[in-house]
Amino acid sequence: MGYALVLVRSASLNLEAFARATGTHPDLVRRLVTLGILEADRDAAGDLWFARSQVTVMGRVQRLRAGFGLNYAAVGLVGDLLDRIAVLEAALEEARRAGR
Amino acid sequence: MPGAPRADRRDFYEVLGVPRTATQDEIQKAYRKLARQHHPDVNKDPGAEDRFKEISEAYDVLSDPQTRRRYDAFGPGFRQVPEDVDPEAFQRSQAGAGAGAGGFGGGGFGGGLRDDLGGINIEDLLGGIFGGRGFGPIPGADQEAGLELTVEEAFEGGHRSVTLEGPDGRRTLDVRIPAGVTNGQRIRLTGQGGRGSEGARNGDLYFVVRIAPHPRYRVEGRDLYVDLPLTPWEAALGTSVAVETPGGETKVKVPAGTSSGKRLRLRERGLPHPRGRHGHLYAEVKIMVPAKLSDEERRLFEELAATSTFDPRRR
Repeated sequence: MGYALVLVRSASLNLEAFARATGTHPDLVRRLVTLGILEADRDAAGDLWFARSQVTVMGRVQRLRAGFGLNYAAVGLVGDLLDRIAVLEAALEEARRAGR
Repeated sequence: MPGAPRADRRDFYEVLGVPRTATQDEIQKAYRKLARQHHPDVNKDPGAEDRFKEISEAYDVLSDPQTRRRYDAFGPGFRQVPEDVDPEAFQRSQAGAGAGAGGFGGGGFGGGLRDDLGGINIEDLLGGIFGGRGFGPIPGADQEAGLELTVEEAFEGGHRSVTLEGPDGRRTLDVRIPAGVTNGQRIRLTGQGGRGSEGARNGDLYFVVRIAPHPRYRVEGRDLYVDLPLTPWEAALGTSVAVETPGGETKVKVPAGTSSGKRLRLRERGLPHPRGRHGHLYAEVKIMVPAKLSDEERRLFEELAATSTFDPRRR
Protein backbone atom coordinates (compact mmCIF):
# COMPACT_ATOMS: atom_id res chain seq x y z
CA MET A 1 0.00 0.00 0.00
CA GLY A 2 1.38 3.40 -0.96
CA TYR A 3 1.27 6.65 1.02
CA ALA A 4 0.98 10.08 -0.46
CA LEU A 5 4.02 12.20 0.27
CA VAL A 6 2.88 15.28 2.16
CA LEU A 7 5.16 18.26 2.51
CA VAL A 8 4.90 19.64 6.04
CA ARG A 9 5.14 23.41 6.08
CA SER A 10 4.26 24.13 9.68
CA ALA A 11 7.12 26.62 9.96
CA SER A 12 5.97 28.54 6.87
CA LEU A 13 3.07 30.86 6.27
CA ASN A 14 0.94 31.00 3.17
CA LEU A 15 0.18 34.33 1.52
CA GLU A 16 -3.01 35.03 3.47
CA ALA A 17 -1.51 34.02 6.84
CA PHE A 18 1.58 36.11 6.11
CA ALA A 19 -0.50 39.17 5.18
CA ARG A 20 -2.56 38.70 8.34
CA ALA A 21 0.52 38.30 10.54
CA THR A 22 2.05 41.49 9.16
CA GLY A 23 -1.15 43.53 8.93
CA THR A 24 -0.66 44.08 5.21
CA HIS A 25 -2.61 43.39 2.03
CA PRO A 26 -1.82 40.22 0.08
CA ASP A 27 -1.44 42.30 -3.12
CA LEU A 28 1.32 44.33 -1.49
CA VAL A 29 3.01 41.15 -0.26
CA ARG A 30 2.89 39.66 -3.78
CA ARG A 31 4.39 42.85 -5.18
CA LEU A 32 7.25 42.81 -2.68
CA VAL A 33 8.02 39.22 -3.65
CA THR A 34 8.15 40.27 -7.32
CA LEU A 35 10.52 43.11 -6.40
CA GLY A 36 12.77 40.65 -4.56
CA ILE A 37 12.29 42.40 -1.22
CA LEU A 38 10.52 39.46 0.40
CA GLU A 39 11.66 35.92 -0.14
CA ALA A 40 9.07 33.23 -0.72
CA ASP A 41 8.91 29.67 -2.03
CA ARG A 42 6.39 28.71 -4.64
CA ASP A 43 4.82 25.26 -4.33
CA ALA A 44 3.65 23.02 -7.17
CA ALA A 45 0.27 24.73 -7.20
CA GLY A 46 1.96 28.13 -7.58
CA ASP A 47 1.09 29.32 -4.07
CA LEU A 48 3.55 31.42 -2.11
CA TRP A 49 5.02 30.26 1.21
CA PHE A 50 6.94 32.48 3.60
CA ALA A 51 9.47 31.59 6.27
CA ARG A 52 8.71 33.08 9.69
CA SER A 53 11.83 35.26 9.43
CA GLN A 54 10.17 37.16 6.58
CA VAL A 55 7.70 38.64 9.10
CA THR A 56 10.65 40.55 10.59
CA VAL A 57 11.77 41.62 7.11
CA MET A 58 8.28 42.93 6.39
CA GLY A 59 8.33 44.94 9.64
CA ARG A 60 11.53 46.61 8.55
CA VAL A 61 10.09 47.38 5.11
CA GLN A 62 7.10 49.05 6.77
CA ARG A 63 9.27 51.08 9.15
CA LEU A 64 11.70 52.24 6.48
CA ARG A 65 8.80 53.31 4.28
CA ALA A 66 7.05 55.14 7.09
CA GLY A 67 10.24 56.68 8.49
CA PHE A 68 11.84 57.89 5.28
CA GLY A 69 9.08 57.76 2.69
CA LEU A 70 11.24 55.36 0.65
CA ASN A 71 9.82 53.69 -2.41
CA TYR A 72 9.96 49.91 -2.49
CA ALA A 73 13.05 49.70 -4.71
CA ALA A 74 14.92 51.93 -2.26
CA VAL A 75 13.62 49.91 0.70
CA GLY A 76 15.15 46.80 -0.91
CA LEU A 77 18.49 48.53 -1.36
CA VAL A 78 18.57 49.97 2.17
CA GLY A 79 17.59 46.59 3.61
CA ASP A 80 20.42 44.85 1.73
CA LEU A 81 22.92 47.48 2.89
CA LEU A 82 21.79 47.18 6.51
CA ASP A 83 22.21 43.40 6.34
CA ARG A 84 25.72 43.78 4.91
CA ILE A 85 26.66 46.30 7.57
CA ALA A 86 25.38 43.95 10.28
CA VAL A 87 27.62 41.16 8.92
CA LEU A 88 30.63 43.50 8.74
CA GLU A 89 30.05 44.85 12.23
CA ALA A 90 29.81 41.32 13.63
CA ALA A 91 33.08 40.39 11.88
CA LEU A 92 34.74 43.56 13.17
CA GLU A 93 33.64 42.81 16.72
CA GLU A 94 34.90 39.25 16.36
CA ALA A 95 38.29 40.48 15.12
CA ARG A 96 38.47 43.06 17.90
CA ARG A 97 37.86 40.38 20.51
CA ALA A 98 40.39 37.98 19.00
CA GLY A 99 43.05 40.70 18.88
CA ARG A 100 42.60 41.72 22.46
CA MET B 1 3.09 54.97 31.31
CA PRO B 2 1.25 55.15 27.99
CA GLY B 3 -1.18 58.04 28.06
CA ALA B 4 0.71 59.99 30.70
CA PRO B 5 2.15 63.31 29.56
CA ARG B 6 5.90 63.44 29.63
CA ALA B 7 7.08 66.15 31.92
CA ASP B 8 10.55 66.24 30.40
CA ARG B 9 9.43 67.11 26.86
CA ARG B 10 12.13 69.19 25.25
CA ASP B 11 11.69 72.21 23.07
CA PHE B 12 11.16 71.08 19.46
CA TYR B 13 13.84 73.44 18.12
CA GLU B 14 16.28 72.06 20.66
CA VAL B 15 15.36 68.51 19.64
CA LEU B 16 16.26 69.24 16.01
CA GLY B 17 19.25 71.38 17.03
CA VAL B 18 18.13 74.43 15.04
CA PRO B 19 17.59 78.04 16.12
CA ARG B 20 14.06 79.41 16.38
CA THR B 21 14.78 81.49 13.29
CA ALA B 22 15.61 78.41 11.17
CA THR B 23 14.18 78.28 7.66
CA GLN B 24 11.95 75.39 6.58
CA ASP B 25 14.89 74.04 4.58
CA GLU B 26 17.13 74.06 7.63
CA ILE B 27 14.46 72.26 9.66
CA GLN B 28 14.04 69.66 6.94
CA LYS B 29 17.80 69.15 6.67
CA ALA B 30 18.27 68.79 10.44
CA TYR B 31 15.39 66.31 10.62
CA ARG B 32 16.61 64.16 7.72
CA LYS B 33 20.07 63.95 9.21
CA LEU B 34 18.87 63.02 12.69
CA ALA B 35 16.26 60.58 11.39
CA ARG B 36 18.95 58.72 9.44
CA GLN B 37 21.03 58.40 12.60
CA HIS B 38 18.28 57.30 14.94
CA HIS B 39 15.90 55.27 12.78
CA PRO B 40 15.30 52.03 14.74
CA ASP B 41 16.38 49.89 11.79
CA VAL B 42 19.68 51.75 11.50
CA ASN B 43 20.38 52.23 15.20
CA LYS B 44 19.67 49.21 17.39
CA ASP B 45 20.30 51.02 20.64
CA PRO B 46 17.20 50.86 22.89
CA GLY B 47 17.40 54.65 23.37
CA ALA B 48 17.28 55.34 19.63
CA GLU B 49 13.56 54.68 19.30
CA ASP B 50 12.79 57.29 21.92
CA ARG B 51 15.05 59.77 20.20
CA PHE B 52 13.58 59.01 16.77
CA LYS B 53 10.10 59.53 18.14
CA GLU B 54 11.11 62.85 19.64
CA ILE B 55 12.69 63.96 16.36
CA SER B 56 9.61 62.90 14.37
CA GLU B 57 7.27 64.76 16.72
CA ALA B 58 9.36 67.90 16.48
CA TYR B 59 9.46 67.68 12.70
CA ASP B 60 5.74 66.98 12.44
CA VAL B 61 5.09 70.26 14.21
CA LEU B 62 7.83 72.48 12.80
CA SER B 63 7.65 71.31 9.16
CA ASP B 64 4.17 72.75 8.75
CA PRO B 65 4.40 76.58 8.78
CA GLN B 66 0.87 76.85 10.19
CA THR B 67 1.50 74.47 13.11
CA ARG B 68 4.93 75.96 13.65
CA ARG B 69 3.40 79.44 14.03
CA ARG B 70 1.00 78.09 16.63
CA TYR B 71 3.80 76.23 18.46
CA ASP B 72 5.90 79.42 18.52
CA ALA B 73 2.99 81.40 19.92
CA PHE B 74 1.39 78.99 22.38
CA GLY B 75 4.30 76.69 23.29
CA PRO B 76 4.04 72.93 23.88
CA GLY B 77 0.35 73.22 24.79
CA PHE B 78 -0.58 74.66 21.39
CA ARG B 79 -2.91 71.79 20.56
CA GLN B 80 -5.08 72.86 23.48
CA VAL B 81 -5.62 76.34 22.13
CA PRO B 82 -8.75 76.73 20.01
CA GLU B 83 -8.08 76.97 16.26
CA ASP B 84 -9.68 80.41 15.97
CA VAL B 85 -7.22 82.09 18.34
CA ASP B 86 -4.84 84.16 16.25
CA PRO B 87 -1.22 83.44 17.25
CA GLU B 88 -0.05 87.01 16.55
CA ALA B 89 -2.93 88.55 18.53
CA PHE B 90 -2.18 86.14 21.39
CA GLN B 91 1.51 87.04 21.40
CA ARG B 92 0.70 90.76 21.34
CA SER B 93 -1.64 90.23 24.28
CA GLN B 94 1.01 88.28 26.19
CA ALA B 95 3.53 91.08 25.63
CA GLY B 96 0.84 93.60 26.63
CA ALA B 97 -0.02 91.66 29.79
CA GLY B 98 3.63 91.80 30.76
CA ALA B 99 3.54 95.58 30.38
CA GLY B 100 0.42 95.83 32.52
CA ALA B 101 -2.13 96.07 29.68
CA GLY B 102 -5.32 94.00 29.37
CA GLY B 103 -5.90 92.06 26.14
CA PHE B 104 -6.18 88.28 26.53
CA GLY B 105 -5.02 88.52 30.10
CA GLY B 106 -2.83 86.14 32.00
CA GLY B 107 -5.57 83.71 32.89
CA GLY B 108 -7.01 83.16 29.42
CA PHE B 109 -5.37 79.82 28.56
CA GLY B 110 -3.05 79.63 31.51
CA GLY B 111 -4.29 76.40 33.06
CA GLY B 112 -4.16 74.42 29.87
CA LEU B 113 -0.88 75.84 28.65
CA ARG B 114 1.04 75.26 31.81
CA ASP B 115 0.07 71.62 31.96
CA ASP B 116 2.23 70.54 29.04
CA LEU B 117 -0.36 68.98 26.77
CA GLY B 118 -3.08 69.14 29.35
CA GLY B 119 -3.19 65.39 29.89
CA ILE B 120 -3.23 64.57 26.19
CA ASN B 121 -0.34 62.39 25.19
CA ILE B 122 1.11 63.40 21.86
CA GLU B 123 1.62 59.70 21.13
CA ASP B 124 -2.15 59.26 21.23
CA LEU B 125 -2.39 61.97 18.62
CA LEU B 126 0.36 60.60 16.43
CA GLY B 127 -0.47 56.95 17.09
CA GLY B 128 2.99 55.81 18.21
CA ILE B 129 6.32 56.05 16.48
CA PHE B 130 5.16 55.46 12.90
CA GLY B 131 1.42 55.35 13.34
CA GLY B 132 -1.20 57.83 12.28
CA ARG B 133 0.50 58.60 8.98
CA GLY B 134 -1.53 56.35 6.78
CA PHE B 135 0.84 53.39 6.93
CA GLY B 136 -1.38 51.19 9.11
CA PRO B 137 -0.11 49.09 12.02
CA ILE B 138 3.68 48.84 12.01
CA PRO B 139 5.58 46.34 14.16
CA GLY B 140 8.31 47.53 16.50
CA ALA B 141 11.95 47.02 15.55
CA ASP B 142 14.29 44.64 17.35
CA GLN B 143 16.78 46.36 19.62
CA GLU B 144 20.19 45.43 20.91
CA ALA B 145 22.02 46.31 24.08
CA GLY B 146 25.35 45.11 25.38
CA LEU B 147 25.51 42.98 28.51
CA GLU B 148 28.87 42.64 30.20
CA LEU B 149 29.24 39.53 32.34
CA THR B 150 32.03 38.25 34.51
CA VAL B 151 33.51 34.84 33.73
CA GLU B 152 31.84 33.56 36.90
CA GLU B 153 28.41 34.84 35.79
CA ALA B 154 28.84 33.24 32.36
CA PHE B 155 29.87 29.99 34.04
CA GLU B 156 27.06 29.78 36.56
CA GLY B 157 24.25 31.61 34.76
CA GLY B 158 21.51 33.15 36.87
CA HIS B 159 19.60 36.39 36.87
CA ARG B 160 20.77 39.93 36.32
CA SER B 161 18.74 43.05 36.82
CA VAL B 162 19.35 45.51 33.96
CA THR B 163 18.07 49.09 33.83
CA LEU B 164 17.44 50.70 30.45
CA GLU B 165 16.29 54.15 29.47
CA GLY B 166 13.10 53.81 27.45
CA PRO B 167 10.23 55.87 26.08
CA ASP B 168 8.37 55.44 29.36
CA GLY B 169 11.35 56.41 31.46
CA ARG B 170 13.61 53.92 33.11
CA ARG B 171 12.67 50.29 33.13
CA THR B 172 14.32 47.49 34.96
CA LEU B 173 14.41 44.10 33.33
CA ASP B 174 15.17 40.78 34.90
CA VAL B 175 17.48 39.01 32.45
CA ARG B 176 17.90 35.26 32.79
CA ILE B 177 21.46 34.36 31.89
CA PRO B 178 21.81 30.77 30.74
CA ALA B 179 24.88 28.99 32.12
CA GLY B 180 27.62 28.83 29.49
CA VAL B 181 26.87 31.94 27.42
CA THR B 182 29.92 33.17 25.57
CA ASN B 183 31.13 36.33 23.89
CA GLY B 184 28.85 37.54 21.11
CA GLN B 185 25.88 35.34 22.05
CA ARG B 186 22.52 37.04 22.19
CA ILE B 187 19.91 36.69 24.93
CA ARG B 188 16.43 37.47 23.66
CA LEU B 189 13.68 39.21 25.62
CA THR B 190 10.55 38.73 23.57
CA GLY B 191 8.42 41.82 23.04
CA GLN B 192 10.77 44.11 24.97
CA GLY B 193 12.11 45.91 21.88
CA GLY B 194 10.61 48.78 19.90
CA ARG B 195 6.90 49.30 20.34
CA GLY B 196 4.53 48.46 17.52
CA SER B 197 2.00 51.07 16.48
CA GLU B 198 -1.76 50.60 16.31
CA GLY B 199 -1.71 47.20 17.98
CA ALA B 200 1.11 45.72 15.89
CA ARG B 201 3.50 43.51 17.80
CA ASN B 202 6.53 44.85 19.65
CA GLY B 203 10.05 44.04 18.58
CA ASP B 204 12.40 41.89 20.66
CA LEU B 205 15.25 43.13 22.78
CA TYR B 206 18.55 41.31 22.42
CA PHE B 207 21.33 41.49 24.95
CA VAL B 208 24.65 40.83 23.27
CA VAL B 209 26.96 39.16 25.76
CA ARG B 210 30.46 40.41 26.30
CA ILE B 211 32.63 38.74 28.88
CA ALA B 212 34.60 41.31 30.84
CA PRO B 213 38.37 40.97 31.01
CA HIS B 214 39.24 38.88 34.04
CA PRO B 215 42.38 39.22 36.16
CA ARG B 216 43.00 35.49 35.98
CA TYR B 217 41.10 33.90 33.07
CA ARG B 218 41.42 34.58 29.36
CA VAL B 219 38.34 33.52 27.39
CA GLU B 220 38.38 32.08 23.88
CA GLY B 221 35.00 30.73 22.90
CA ARG B 222 34.18 28.41 25.78
CA ASP B 223 37.81 27.62 26.57
CA LEU B 224 39.52 29.35 29.45
CA TYR B 225 43.25 30.00 29.80
CA VAL B 226 44.95 30.55 33.12
CA ASP B 227 48.60 31.09 34.04
CA LEU B 228 50.22 28.33 36.06
CA PRO B 229 53.34 29.68 37.81
CA LEU B 230 55.83 26.96 38.74
CA THR B 231 59.22 26.92 40.40
CA PRO B 232 62.07 25.54 38.24
CA TRP B 233 62.31 22.43 40.40
CA GLU B 234 58.54 21.79 40.25
CA ALA B 235 58.73 22.04 36.47
CA ALA B 236 61.77 19.79 36.27
CA LEU B 237 60.69 17.16 38.77
CA GLY B 238 56.93 17.21 38.21
CA THR B 239 54.30 17.95 40.79
CA SER B 240 50.63 18.32 41.46
CA VAL B 241 49.33 21.87 41.87
CA ALA B 242 46.00 23.33 42.95
CA VAL B 243 44.37 25.43 40.21
CA GLU B 244 41.39 27.64 40.71
CA THR B 245 38.64 27.22 38.11
CA PRO B 246 35.23 28.96 37.94
CA GLY B 247 33.75 25.66 39.12
CA GLY B 248 36.03 25.47 42.16
CA GLU B 249 39.56 24.42 42.96
CA THR B 250 41.01 21.40 41.26
CA LYS B 251 44.39 19.67 41.01
CA VAL B 252 46.52 19.64 37.92
CA LYS B 253 49.30 17.10 37.48
CA VAL B 254 52.46 18.66 36.10
CA PRO B 255 54.62 16.00 34.45
CA ALA B 256 58.37 16.03 35.05
CA GLY B 257 60.27 18.04 32.43
CA THR B 258 57.59 20.67 31.78
CA SER B 259 58.83 23.90 30.21
CA SER B 260 57.31 27.39 30.14
CA GLY B 261 54.49 27.85 27.63
CA LYS B 262 53.27 24.27 27.86
CA ARG B 263 49.51 24.05 28.14
CA LEU B 264 48.04 21.51 30.51
CA ARG B 265 44.48 20.73 29.61
CA LEU B 266 41.81 20.31 32.25
CA ARG B 267 39.13 18.57 30.30
CA GLU B 268 35.76 20.32 30.21
CA ARG B 269 36.60 22.62 33.11
CA GLY B 270 35.97 25.74 30.98
CA LEU B 271 32.59 27.35 30.32
CA PRO B 272 29.75 24.84 30.11
CA HIS B 273 27.88 24.17 26.88
CA PRO B 274 24.16 23.65 27.45
CA ARG B 275 23.83 21.23 24.53
CA GLY B 276 27.31 20.02 23.74
CA ARG B 277 30.88 19.63 24.85
CA HIS B 278 31.92 21.97 27.63
CA GLY B 279 34.95 24.19 27.12
CA HIS B 280 38.36 23.13 28.40
CA LEU B 281 40.52 24.99 30.88
CA TYR B 282 44.16 25.33 29.85
CA ALA B 283 46.75 26.00 32.52
CA GLU B 284 49.74 27.66 30.83
CA VAL B 285 53.03 26.94 32.53
CA LYS B 286 55.13 29.91 33.50
CA ILE B 287 58.39 29.10 35.26
CA MET B 288 59.27 31.67 37.90
CA VAL B 289 62.53 32.20 39.77
CA PRO B 290 63.03 34.02 43.05
CA ALA B 291 63.93 37.67 42.48
CA LYS B 292 66.53 37.39 45.26
CA LEU B 293 68.34 34.23 46.19
CA SER B 294 69.36 33.26 49.67
CA ASP B 295 72.97 32.17 50.08
CA GLU B 296 71.94 28.52 50.21
CA GLU B 297 69.74 28.84 47.10
CA ARG B 298 72.56 30.55 45.23
CA ARG B 299 74.97 27.77 46.22
CA LEU B 300 72.58 25.08 45.01
CA PHE B 301 71.88 26.86 41.70
CA GLU B 302 75.61 27.30 41.13
CA GLU B 303 76.15 23.63 41.84
CA LEU B 304 73.37 22.75 39.37
CA ALA B 305 74.86 25.09 36.75
CA ALA B 306 78.24 23.41 37.12
CA THR B 307 76.77 19.91 36.95
CA SER B 308 74.05 20.18 34.30
CA THR B 309 74.76 19.73 30.59
CA PHE B 310 71.31 20.98 29.58
CA ASP B 311 71.40 23.77 26.97
CA PRO B 312 67.97 24.96 25.81
CA ARG B 313 69.61 27.02 23.02
CA ARG B 314 71.51 24.13 21.48
CA ARG B 315 70.55 23.58 17.86
